[in-house]
Amino acid sequence: MEKKGKGRRSDRPPVDLAAQLKLQRESFVSTFFRKGAEFTEELVTENDRLRAALADAERDNAALRTQLASDEAIRDLLRKIDDLEREKQALLSHVHEAEAHTTQFTNRHAQIEEELANLANLHVASYHLHSTLRLPMVVRHLRELLQQLVGARAYAIYVADDARGELVAIAAEGLEATDLLPIPYGAGETQEDARGTVERAFVTGIARVEEGPLDATRHQPAACLPMRVDDRAVGVIVIHALLAQKTRFVAVDFELFKMLGLHAASALVGAQLFAAADGRVPGVEVFQGISPSIPPKSLANP
Amino acid sequence: MSAEYTCLVVEDSPMMRQLLVFALSRVKNLRVTEADDGVDGLRKLAGTKYDIILTDINMPIMDGLKLVKRVRTDPMHKDTPIVVITTEGSEEDRQRAIALGANAYITKPIQAPQVIAKVKELLKITG
Repeated sequence: MEKKGKGRRSDRPPVDLAAQLKLQRESFVSTFFRKGAEFTEELVTENDRLRAALADAERDNAALRTQLASDEAIRDLLRKIDDLEREKQALLSHVHEAEAHTTQFTNRHAQIEEELANLANLHVASYHLHSTLRLPMVVRHLRELLQQLVGARAYAIYVADDARGELVAIAAEGLEATDLLPIPYGAGETQEDARGTVERAFVTGIARVEEGPLDATRHQPAACLPMRVDDRAVGVIVIHALLAQKTRFVAVDFELFKMLGLHAASALVGAQLFAAADGRVPGVEVFQGISPSIPPKSLANP
Repeated sequence: MSAEYTCLVVEDSPMMRQLLVFALSRVKNLRVTEADDGVDGLRKLAGTKYDIILTDINMPIMDGLKLVKRVRTDPMHKDTPIVVITTEGSEEDRQRAIALGANAYITKPIQAPQVIAKVKELLKITG
């Protein structure tokens, strides 16, 4: 069943309604366009904001890329620094090795120079000791050797007088006459004083040399050096004091003492015999039979 | 070519002279002349220029200190380095030698390396 009002409805819209609709439509269109404009404005603003953000992001990106490149360069540099550091360490190690070799070489060179100088001292001493058969010259050379090579300030050279059983001073320096009285030997027990030490060195044939620093207050000689020809002691060299600048015997002195023990006596005895023979050189006959490879006749006088 | 240096050794003891000559033979390009005493030394210095002089103090005829004094009045050698070598070890002797014009002082018994070092130092020889 239809409602009552429906029967009176017309196909033509009423004027008010149309106007109303028109108003509504205009309002709608106006609102639509206003909203659209607002939306567009918003879109434009948003677009601007996004562009700005994009530009920022691109700038950041560029900065980051630069930073990254810079970091990479730094990493490269650090790697290079590490490499150079390793190279430096290797070079330093080589330098230290070379320095150690140089030091070793320098020390060895100094040692060799010192040994050479010591050998020169021995050669010069021996050369001069045997360079003459004149007794005064032999004694002079002995004195020079003791003063200049050993640095002896007070010393005496004793020769054995077998007939009296005494050691008699034949040369001395820096000692009083009372210090140079003959020293008897082989008469009994030796004393513990300086003279006893000299006697003991002569009798036993064993040298006595102070090895450490020399004490100025000591009562014993600094060195007692028996002089021997073959197995026979013929005298003693006694050193009582050294020059002020020399406080102890050094390595070369001990070598000189060994040389003196063997060579001083033969130089002195040889010179003594030469003097006793009035400087005559023995004839060739004394050499007969010494060498089995040469027949005696070839050496004999016709 | 390395420069050649000349040295005069004045020493009355043949033994010491030989030792000094040996020590100085270790210095390259150094030619050594020997003199027996101060007078012989002066004779050798007359007319010949030496680069360095080594002299003993205690010598007969003319001692080393007199020689130093005379050398310093010689125009040719007034600036020549002089090394005095002696048995005396006191500071007083050292000062006396230096005051007279010596440049260095070495005491006996001599050590060859010390002599070599001193001569090289005074001649400014390196190595």
